Amino acid sequence: MNVMLYSMEIAMVLSGLGILMLDLGTPARGKRDLGYLAAFLMSLLLLQSVFMPEVQDGFSLLSSGHSITEGPGYKLDAFARYFKHLFLLAAILVLLMAVDFAGTLRARLAEFFALVLFALTGMSAAASATNFITLFVSIELITVSFYVLTSFQRGQMRSLEAGVKYLILGAAASAVLVYGIALVYGATGSMEFAALGKACPSAEHDHLLRLGLLLVIAGLGFKIAAFPFQIWVPDVYQGAPAPVTAFLAVGSKAAGFALLMRLCHHLRPDLRELTLTVLAALAGATILYGSLCALRQRNLKRLFGYAGIASAGYLLLGLLALNAQPGASPSGAQGCHAMMFYLAGYLIAVMAAFTVLCHLDGEDEDLSVLAGLHARSPLLATVLTLSVVSMAGLPPLMGFLGKFLLLQSAFEVLSPHPAQLWLMVVALGGVVISLYYYFGILRAIYWGGGISPGRPAGESEAITVPPLARLLLIACGLILLWVGIFPQALLEWLGDAVALFR
Amino acid sequence: MTLNHYLVLSAILLGIGLLGVLTRRNIIVVLFSIEILFNAANLNFIAFWRFGPNPEALMGPMFALFAIAVAAAEVAVGLALVIAVYRHFKTVDLEKLDTLREP
Repeated sequence: MNVMLYSMEIAMVLSGLGILMLDLGTPARGKRDLGYLAAFLMSLLLLQSVFMPEVQDGFSLLSSGHSITEGPGYKLDAFARYFKHLFLLAAILVLLMAVDFAGTLRARLAEFFALVLFALTGMSAAASATNFITLFVSIELITVSFYVLTSFQRGQMRSLEAGVKYLILGAAASAVLVYGIALVYGATGSMEFAALGKACPSAEHDHLLRLGLLLVIAGLGFKIAAFPFQIWVPDVYQGAPAPVTAFLAVGSKAAGFALLMRLCHHLRPDLRELTLTVLAALAGATILYGSLCALRQRNLKRLFGYAGIASAGYLLLGLLALNAQPGASPSGAQGCHAMMFYLAGYLIAVMAAFTVLCHLDGEDEDLSVLAGLHARSPLLATVLTLSVVSMAGLPPLMGFLGKFLLLQSAFEVLSPHPAQLWLMVVALGGVVISLYYYFGILRAIYWGGGISPGRPAGESEAITVPPLARLLLIACGLILLWVGIFPQALLEWLGDAVALFR
Repeated sequence: MTLNHYLVLSAILLGIGLLGVLTRRNIIVVLFSIEILFNAANLNFIAFWRFGPNPEALMGPMFALFAIAVAAAEVAVGLALVIAVYRHFKTVDLEKLDTLREP
């Protein structure tokens, strides 16, 4: 066992503990700087991991004579690294968002920053998990941190209520997940994902394994907000502080998908048939439910919650390709490629949208707070437009290619079964419906005058955005546009990360 | 006692726990039910390990220990939340927490 293998997680935990220690000696007005410090440390970690990944290898070379990329239940491959980069980027943006949001948080800031780092540690470990113990512990580290983060505004009823609802449903889902893992353990006698690829000793064991696998998928389905397990999403997204909602929408979901991808990769052919059917049904129901419920929402965070459910459905389409029989024409790599590209675009778009949301006044986040935004702050209006159009999946932005690749991979997997083409009809229908609700947001920005009677549009003063946030917003907008037009660089980089699934 | 006895007992515990989570309205009772759910799974781990092909590998009890620790963390956060909720709402009834809902 080599400690350097876990260096990223160790650095994250130490940064979180360090922030808590520094908090003791920091005067009240200096607390915000701790957020900048945390974001700075995570940026260093991200830069080191992107540009000098050999540092970790180097240490393991020194101590053991050969490069180690695997430990018990843990694997540091290109796939894990890509997800770790995504999570680090999300955490940095969330920390900076939280610093600007600090006035509304009205609570102990240092603990907030530390909890974000602890949740990040869980996500980072989840990206590397190769057995059920790592899966469970990392998922729980994420969820327990999020219980506290969700109810962080203790003075506000809705934040507390969201926390309670998330806790009860989340804990029940975790218990179901553990029960499923117990059944899988009973059937295979092992905790490794790889054991799912081997034949069971008897038919009874096989039934146990199938039941356990379904329960595990249900438990993870809660984290990614797939259809029958999505009831918590709208309430929790609405009640949680905006930076937490953003982190929940991106980080928690991506971690669940990373785990599902690893899990499905190891399944043996007859189990793949089962999961293909189950996941196809989940994907269709999720897209339909998310899209239809988003239509009548007027609260922005709730709207993004339902839109997030729909995008979980699209991501499940990519997961279908992973469950194709080995040797089929679209290999699992294609579906993974699409999912990872879509997640990157989704991350940037969601972070940009929520950063804009943090700078709007009005506690209730009704669509009417957007009225006249293009006059009050052209920058916020432009970035929000770009991010919403990207989420809707219109060219030339990043979201378009992501959605296109997902639909394409699912279409190729499903083409041998004409009966399952209804799924494509549902998916395309979801895209069309999404245009309607996303353009509701655009309508509120540009043509939304006079919706709120108390404050007619145009009369409100301009919104001032701090310089750092302005820089980040411009960067997010440019990335959405640039990668959307020239996706080759990112797609090639992803080629290494999905080599595992070929 | 065979493996099946333990599995049936654990399935009964799972049923009781799920019923409690779904039907009870007192947050504290719901937290109890979640504990029962976790213990149903833990019982399974121990039974599968004890009657499994290689009881020398301590995988089952090890996972049960992890699950107990995590359940304790969850309940700690849960009880803290219950106290905060009681201060604001003056109740621990889940039905009364309804400020967030569909418009």
